[in-house]
Parts: sequence; C-alpha cells; structure tokens
Amino acid sequence: MIDRITHSAPRWLGMVIAFGLTALVMIYLSYLLPRLLPGDFVTSMYSSSQVTLTAEQETELRAYYTEEPGFYRYLARLAGLDWGYSYAFLTPVSTLFFSALPWTLLLLGTAHIVSMFIGFVVGVETAWRRNSRLEKGMVSFMTILEGVPEISTGVILLVLFALHLEWFPAAGANTAYAELSSCAWLIDIGHHLVLPLATLVIAYFPGNFLLARNSMVTVIKQAYITTARAKGLPARRVRYAHGARNALLPLVTRFGLRLAFMITGALVVERIFSYPGLGTLLFNAIKARDLPVIQSVALISSLMVLAIILGLEIIYRIIDPRVEYAH
Amino acid sequence: MRIRLGKELFEDRWFTAGFVLAVFFAALTLFGPLLAPYDPWNMSFEPISAPTVEHLLGINDGGQDIFSELLYAIRNTVVFGMISGFVALGLGVFIGLTAGWFGGLVDIILMRLADVLLAIPAIMILILTAALFRPKPVVLALILAGFMWPTISKTIRAQTLSIREGLHIRAAKQMGGSDWHVIHRHLMPELFPLYLIGFAAKCRMAMFMEASLAFLGLFDPSRKSIGMMISYAMKYYYLDIWWNWLLPPIACLSLLIMTVTFLAISLEKVLDPRLKNTLKERAI
Repeated sequence: MIDRITHSAPRWLGMVIAFGLTALVMIYLSYLLPRLLPGDFVTSMYSSSQVTLTAEQETELRAYYTEEPGFYRYLARLAGLDWGYSYAFLTPVSTLFFSALPWTLLLLGTAHIVSMFIGFVVGVETAWRRNSRLEKGMVSFMTILEGVPEISTGVILLVLFALHLEWFPAAGANTAYAELSSCAWLIDIGHHLVLPLATLVIAYFPGNFLLARNSMVTVIKQAYITTARAKGLPARRVRYAHGARNALLPLVTRFGLRLAFMITGALVVERIFSYPGLGTLLFNAIKARDLPVIQSVALISSLMVLAIILGLEIIYRIIDPRVEYAH
Repeated sequence: MRIRLGKELFEDRWFTAGFVLAVFFAALTLFGPLLAPYDPWNMSFEPISAPTVEHLLGINDGGQDIFSELLYAIRNTVVFGMISGFVALGLGVFIGLTAGWFGGLVDIILMRLADVLLAIPAIMILILTAALFRPKPVVLALILAGFMWPTISKTIRAQTLSIREGLHIRAAKQMGGSDWHVIHRHLMPELFPLYLIGFAAKCRMAMFMEASLAFLGLFDPSRKSIGMMISYAMKYYYLDIWWNWLLPPIACLSLLIMTVTFLAISLEKVLDPRLKNTLKERAI
C-alpha cells in the first residue's frame, strides 16, 4: 500500500499543482473581471440623485470607491470568508452562502447517492437477465427517460403533485414559522424534499442505470463468472460478490465528474421548487443584478467542486492503480 | 464502407427515431421564421387568451403569439447547440490528435489542462460571464465549447495512440509522409465515428445548458428561448394555461434533448465494434 502511494506520488503532485494553479487563475479572474466593467459606483449613485457633489467631494468619493485592495489583500479576504456585502439583502455574502449551502448539499448528496444505488442495483439485475423482455423494455424506457431534461420533469412534477393533487408542498425546504418537535421537523423537511429529490433522481438514474448495465454485460462474459457459477455458488453471490464488484468501478470513477455537472441541474431544480439552496440564492441574485453574491457563489462553488474532484482523483489512484492507465 | 455504415445505423430503431426527429427540428430551425404566423415580438394581441384558430397556442402575458415565439425559441436553442458542439468538436479533435501524435511534454500539458477543465463547472463560469458582461449568445456558446472539448480530445487521443503503431501508419511514414500528411490522410478519416459520437453528446449538453441559462434568466430577455418561455409561463401556473403555454415548450425541449440523446446513444452502440479497444479498457 505504502509502496503504491510513493510510486504514484509524482502523478499526484502534478495534479495538485495543476489544480492549485487553476484555483489561483479562477480567483484572479474573479478579482479582475469586475474591474474591467465600464462605469463606476459614484457615477451610478449620484448622477441621477438629488445630491449634487462638489468637484472636491466627487474626487474624494471616487478615490474611496476605486481604491485598489490589491490581489493579495483580495486573496486574504477570500480566505477569511470576507466576501463583501450583498447589494440586495444587505447582509454579508458569506452568511447568505452558508445558510444556503446545507440545503444544496442535502438535496444533491441524497439525489446522487439514491440515483447511484438504484441505478447500480437495477442495472446489475437487468444485465443478469440479458435478452429478456424485461431487459429490452428497461433499456428502452431508460433511453427515453435519459432524454427528458430536469426542467421538464421538475415542472411536470410540480404542476401534477403540488398544484393539482396537492400531495406535496410547492416551495421551500420546511414550513415557515412552524414550531415543530424534532421528529415532526424531520418529517416536514422530508416532505418538502420529495419533489426536488424525485426530479433529480429521475434525471440521473437513467445514466447510472445504462452505465452499470453496460459494464455488467461485459463483466458477465468473463471466464471467472462461468467458473463461479460452475462451482455451484448461489446466483446472487455470483452476481454481487464476483460480478458487480468489478462493474462498480466505472460508476465510481464518474462520481466526481457527475457531481460537477449536477450543479447545473440543481440550480434549475431549486429554482423550480423555490428550494432555499445555492441555486435559488443565485437565481435571486441574478434577478436583482446583485454582483457580489453572483461572483462569490460562482467562485466558491467552483472552487469546492475543484477541491472535491482533486480529492476523489487522488483516492481513486490509491484504491485502484488501473485508473491511472485508463486515463 | 460509408453506405454500409448508414445501413447499419438505420437498422437501429433509436437512430431512426432520432434521425426523424432531427429532420423535423432541422426543418423548424431552417423555415421557422417562414412558418411563424406572426412576428413574435408583436405585442398587440389580447394578453393571456386561450388558443383560437388564428393563434394556435394562444397569447402570452405580453400579448405575443405563443406559437410564433416557440418557433423562434427552438431555432435559437438549436443554433446555440450546433455552434457550441461544432467548436467543441474542432478543438477536441485538434488537441486530441496533437497530444496523441506528438506525445511527450505536449501530451502531458494538454491532458493536464483537460483534467483541470473537466473539474470546473462550466455553468458557473457562464453565469459569471453572462451576469458581468451580458455578452451575445454566440460568445457564451464559444465559452461553453472551451469547457466541453476535453472529453472528446481524451477519446481521440486514446484512439490515436492505438492507431499510431498500426502497420499502415508506419508504412505511410516509411514512404516519407510528413506528420501533417499522415494525420490528415490516415488518422483523421479513421477517427470519423468518434466525431459523430462526440458531436451528438456535446450538442446535447450545450442545448441543455442553453435552456438552463435561459430558464435562470441570463440571456437578453428579448431573445426568444425555450427556457425563458417556461420560466415566464410558470409565473401564471395558477391560471389554466399549463396546457397551451407551459406544456408546448416543455414538450419541445424534451423532444429536442431526446433527439440528440437517441442519436448519441445509438451512434455509440453501432459504431462500438470499431472502437472496441478503447471502450473495453474503459469498461473494465
């Protein structure tokens, strides 16, 4: 094990350096871009107001607002969670960000794990019954489902289950101002989570299913599966202990990348169900042209995804050296 | 060989379904403005009225004909996806071939760059750019392409590496063929199936991204788009408009994404035997 780690150390180091540099470039761009915008705060604030500034006041104000903090100061403030104030909410951006983050993590994390687990199990079971009617039907159904984007699924679920049948709430993550015991509170949160979660699971389940099925179909053809069956092992044991274990790798390898792309889906789904996560925060900020919030949410969440993927890449390399050659 | 490829493809019903839908959407894209009965920016009709014979899908809250709006919206989404897909394909093929053919330091740097780009959520960069500079949609399509090439170039590179040692390539080099000649005449045609697969997959992603961005309100509001129509229609969900205003854009978007998904999946399936080596390596 230790041997393996030291062996792949140079590759790691390359990854860490590349990702670190990317993070720096992204932070620098987020520092630079707003400064390239035309116009300035003083002009936009006072040009159309009742207050007339004297020339001296104007130069002083202008000097105050265009004071350059410098990139190192910017970096230090970023690390110190000092991300400026929201124009629209008049609260520190970090407060807004950290109150929204748990909801996004809850929604995304659950959707990711559920869709992967169901996709894996159903994929393996279907591959085992290859060429049966069930398999063909499932593959067709999943191919069609793969073509339905989460905007459509979300809106349909919302209109059907929240507005017409009224089974689930249409907005929010918990009932506002309700004083609930901890158990009822959890049920309430679960009740609100059902529709957005279902939307995301329906969106990601088909991809996981098709991937698990395809890799399981290749694994089943291997000689060791025939050996295991010839030994008289129970079918379920052959399927999972022998076959599925090896079919799992492509799914796990995609975990990180899928996470990065899931953010897109989460933004839209959160907006449809007004779920108070980062997506809704970002959407409201876009509507209000609240630049500090847009900038921070975009930058920080990208940095987080970058860090997660780097971590996963390193872990894969330790778990399975084959990943290195597959790249 | 081309003819056999086409026949093989049409034997797959997913490809046939995708192809029929693609022809349908291509026709709508090309002739949309001719088919539209009204100017979609004309706001002179009775706002929020139910469909009639003159207005097939009724009128929206701004007094605009929904059917005409939809035709223009489909056009915008398709064009965005096409541009982004084509540019991503071009970049991916060029970079993949360069990395695979020349190897060494060039390869390491390009592939590290690809790894890094894959780890950046493109949507965040697009949102940031759109919010700060409000660029034209074409610019956003190009930026998106800049984030989509890595997966294409990785498959192209892997395939280049395995073909590079082939007899015919070695023979061509032996006869004095230059790098450019060998790449142009032997490698690029041989990788053709990969282009189709890559293009379909990236088109799908770009169209989906366009709908999401429009849905979040990041495009110019006067630019008709499916995502924006859904977003506006949802504001009036309590009125009985869901079947004539909300459903048509949703159905169109789903059909559009389905079209490219079917094509992508069946291309990958049918053209698979030629790419067995790389795919097998990946699957195990």
